[in-house]
Amino acid sequence: MTIPDEPRLELEAERSSGRRLFSRKDAGIDRSPWSRPLAVVGAVLVIGWVLVALLAPLIAPHDPNAQDFARLQPPGGANLLGTDGLGRDLLSRIVYGTRITLPLAVLLVVLATAVGTVAGSIAGYFGGWVDTVVMRLCDLVFAFPGIILAMAAAAALGPGLRNAVLALTIVMWPSYARVVRSMLLGLREAEFVSATRLLGASARRTLAVDLRPNVAGPVLVLAALEVGNAVLLLSGLSFLGLGAQPPDAEWGAMVSEGARNFDAWWIGVFPGLAILTVVLAFNFLGDTLRDALDPRTARALKGSS
Amino acid sequence: MQAPANRRESVRRGSGLGGFLGRRAIAGAFLVVGITLVAFVLTHVVPGDPAAAALGQRAIEDPATVAAFRARYGLDDPLWKQYFTYLFGLLHGDFGISQQTRRPVLTDLVEYLPPTIELALVAIVISLVVGVALGTVAALKRDRWPDQLIRVVSLTGVSVPTFWLALTASLIFSVKLGWFSSTGQLDPGYPKPPTVTGLLLVDSLLDNDPFTFQMGLHHILLPALVLAAYTVGLITRFTRASVLEVLGNDYIRSAHAKGLPRRTVILRHVLRPAMVPIITVSGLAFGSLLSGTVLVESIFSWPGLGQYAYKSSLALDLPAVMGVSVIVAVIYVVINLVIDVLYGVIDPRIRLS
Amino acid sequence: MGSKQKVGSLALVVALATVGISACNPTPKTTAGSGGTGGGAATKPLVIDTVFVLKSADPARNYEPTGNIVARALYDTLVSFKGADLKTPVPSIAQKWEQSADGLTWTFTLDPKAKFSDGTAVTSDDVVFSLNRVERVKGNPSFLADGLTVTAKGPETVEVKTAAYDPALLGKLASPSLGIVNSKLAKAAGASDAENAATADQAEAAFAKASMGSGPYVLDSFGLSTEVDLKANPNYWGATKPNYQRVVIRNVDAAQQKNNVEKGESALALDLSPDQVASVGSGVVSSGVPSQYTFYLFTNANPAVNKWTANPDFQEAVRRGIDYNGLLELAGKGSRRAAGMVPVQFAGSLPDDKAPTFDADAAKAALAKSGYDGSPIEISFPSDLTQNGVSFTDMSTRISADLNKIGIKTALKGAPVATVLELARGGKQQVGVWLWGPDFPDSSNYLAFGPGGIVGGKRVNWKAGSDPALESIMKQAATEKDEAKRADLMGQFQEGLNQGPVMGLIQPAQVFLASKDLKNLTYNLVWTVNVAELG
Repeated sequence: MTIPDEPRLELEAERSSGRRLFSRKDAGIDRSPWSRPLAVVGAVLVIGWVLVALLAPLIAPHDPNAQDFARLQPPGGANLLGTDGLGRDLLSRIVYGTRITLPLAVLLVVLATAVGTVAGSIAGYFGGWVDTVVMRLCDLVFAFPGIILAMAAAAALGPGLRNAVLALTIVMWPSYARVVRSMLLGLREAEFVSATRLLGASARRTLAVDLRPNVAGPVLVLAALEVGNAVLLLSGLSFLGLGAQPPDAEWGAMVSEGARNFDAWWIGVFPGLAILTVVLAFNFLGDTLRDALDPRTARALKGSS
Repeated sequence: MQAPANRRESVRRGSGLGGFLGRRAIAGAFLVVGITLVAFVLTHVVPGDPAAAALGQRAIEDPATVAAFRARYGLDDPLWKQYFTYLFGLLHGDFGISQQTRRPVLTDLVEYLPPTIELALVAIVISLVVGVALGTVAALKRDRWPDQLIRVVSLTGVSVPTFWLALTASLIFSVKLGWFSSTGQLDPGYPKPPTVTGLLLVDSLLDNDPFTFQMGLHHILLPALVLAAYTVGLITRFTRASVLEVLGNDYIRSAHAKGLPRRTVILRHVLRPAMVPIITVSGLAFGSLLSGTVLVESIFSWPGLGQYAYKSSLALDLPAVMGVSVIVAVIYVVINLVIDVLYGVIDPRIRLS
Repeated sequence: MGSKQKVGSLALVVALATVGISACNPTPKTTAGSGGTGGGAATKPLVIDTVFVLKSADPARNYEPTGNIVARALYDTLVSFKGADLKTPVPSIAQKWEQSADGLTWTFTLDPKAKFSDGTAVTSDDVVFSLNRVERVKGNPSFLADGLTVTAKGPETVEVKTAAYDPALLGKLASPSLGIVNSKLAKAAGASDAENAATADQAEAAFAKASMGSGPYVLDSFGLSTEVDLKANPNYWGATKPNYQRVVIRNVDAAQQKNNVEKGESALALDLSPDQVASVGSGVVSSGVPSQYTFYLFTNANPAVNKWTANPDFQEAVRRGIDYNGLLELAGKGSRRAAGMVPVQFAGSLPDDKAPTFDADAAKAALAKSGYDGSPIEISFPSDLTQNGVSFTDMSTRISADLNKIGIKTALKGAPVATVLELARGGKQQVGVWLWGPDFPDSSNYLAFGPGGIVGGKRVNWKAGSDPALESIMKQAATEKDEAKRADLMGQFQEGLNQGPVMGLIQPAQVFLASKDLKNLTYNLVWTVNVAELG
């Protein structure tokens, strides 16, 4: 799962692009993400799904775990999206699934960001052998087959979504470490940092006071972008049976049930659509957010790709 | 993943291509050894006894059978000794014996790796062709409707869960429409062409056997298209960015000013330099496809490395898990090396040192 | 990239797409030069779709369902069974046999017609070699030949002595793992039946290249995860020759099997669930009968593991609190309530009316009597296991919901088999949901579930000595020579079992989805299907 991240190159490219030659109008002036339809669509979808999560008990027609209905009912009857193999209402399960997927994806991103930021700051600030060790560790994770890493970690920690989050943190932190490191490498030589160091500030103070504000912004943006990716990874692990424990309504696990019986296509297709729309929403939003970044941050993010 | 900027630097600092390659190869070797250590530790902290996983309930009751199993796989040695025995074997090309298939892991890898490489290759070729085309169009029509449309398409590509796409595509195109076969590499009982490369499509062409080639294509297309969804999205977006970057250069303007036809400018002066980051991302995407095909392989009954990795880790087949990890790491290192070399070939500026 | 190249590659994609969609136009290449793998589409092979559980082509090391189908076709055994019947052994390589008065010594007379696929005769030496080898290579099936003393009493006579009386001996000898191999060929390939065969025997790989048996088929190619191709044995000695010249058993994801059979690509699918065959196309037929597997649940009898699961009243609450009809609904048409642990196919299985029944009120009363304090009980199950289309995840989720309804708090703990199996075998699970498939076709196999047995004692911590009355029945059942009395004793044993911590749940359905043209299809519990019988 060491799939490369989104093309951060694009940032630089947009600024120096060849619009003189090939573009009809100068579109680079208005950089507000809210003027772009994709951002609006993404934001609306994200807000929509968050509302669904918050209001799940009001929206879901039934108890998501009640095995009360006839099994394998196709959509359109008494159960709008049909029922699954245990006679549970699919719509209710998808609705309640937001309460598992969204918080855990955010938690995963927060954990990976935290670990990655700390490791990346240490590497970028101190340089030398510390840097080498951290970067080789990142290499190791990138070169390791993600599926085996996640499965072994999940097996070692025991099954369950919480442990799946921990397992995936191990897979995800290096991308953040690299971003933070490359930003720090640039900042370390900046005049204001040298100045405070000359004035006798400790390494910790420099990291915490002078550098943090400069790093925090881009990292937060990057984190926001990664929520969609986190949803994909988590549901993938659940699809393999290493994430959610029954009877939890987790979308990946629901797709996995659908994969067993093609005749009951609705069991797998609808939860998959839910995953798709959530990830798509975050990616729409992230894509435009990235475009709207200021050039300095953009350059830092670019160096990380 | 290293950024293009870093790559350029590292080449310049080196003492020519040979020295550079040498250093990268040594670093790669260390990486592989590191991987074996991590894999070894990971597989040993997993609770569960490989003997219990491999033997049946009745066999587990017989101490002699269990002892024979443990002796065969060296499970009674202290852990450090097991690890060094493994490393020593690895130096001699001995990956150990799989507990599940009871064959040398190397034999298993030779059997399961080519189908996955073939699947990933077809997927990456499709992605490159479609992705570069879409990305170029998007860059040229920047901010107009084709760009917006392509953006939505590529974002959808990277957002769709592969396992769900495999399921849905199989449901629609194989079950409902019957356009594709979704089981295995060839029709049942049909003989494989004589093995030359291990890649079925290539071997069938070498065997001058268009029928088998076509059958192979019929089987590989749907899983490859499913896998390509993500990489098409990725490559489209990289191409767009890369082309935009090149378009901003002065020489493009002068080429245009010289009155060269627009088509020539795009193909010769824009796409060629723009290929550099595209190749990087394709290489890395190819690497990730190799270990990321597990979900697709199982739905399409594709006899590849992903399924092998999945089944071995489920069964705590330690030698097999180690073998897969090592081979994927080696491929990762090699791909990175190849990308570095290709950089120099495609973009002569990098060789300025 | 030049413009022509780009146009060219676009054209290639279009071409690829059309090729994929259109039917295959070129004609198959004649296989003159391709390694003698049989004519491409010359004879249509019998194609069987199954999810491979296959580890070895060597009968002495094979102990998996798919391997049994293959070994049954390639290797004849001393005795065998016909069709679905498991009660009457029929002659195979042994044309007749006698049992001594004390029941310990069996004398088998080999069929003089029997010969291997290379044309040489099957001799008593081959039989001795094969059976000794199974025991001494220390593989999964070795226990089947444990304690046997096999001696050649003449070129066509073999004597088998058992250490203790074994009512299941003939059933064990019919196991495909005990197939008779051509000892000359096998030894040349590195096989050994010596005491140190566990390390000395190097023939496993050779068995995957060519078969060395006397069965109706010979091995054409063996792919561990793709397909196993068989072709009819030209030298087959048996009275009825197999109908299909070529058989392909291939590894196919369960969800795809239905489509393959309906399209006519495959003739038979083995892993479908009753749900999947609820409606099928016109050219195919489906059938479902109880499979060999018994799903069961146990509550750990060791109070140190969990004080409640060890409590007999709590156990009674669980037993009466599970809605067995609901489980049968999940398992679908053709499944059966497991009245006791012994599958319905065996003598000694418990009649349906002896099964413990669902009674929520009785369950609640028993729970109250136990003094259960509402602390959550862990239900462990193998999350990656689906047998006959019934997933353990679904089954355990349903059981958990049932128990919640009578007031037992539960926590579901699913994990891959390899990690939970060891916990189960170590007796560390509070409540476990598992399945059991018979190791050999005889009810004595199920004595394992009693107190002190390898399941009852170890997984459930139901120690020997905890139920003397039941254990005395077990002892009698193990040694009783009269079949009718033995069946009766097994019945009593299971009734006793139904008061204890081991609870039989269901036998899921073995569903066959087959093309209408396929004849003589019967489910045999040991080798699933005998491909040589299919017409």
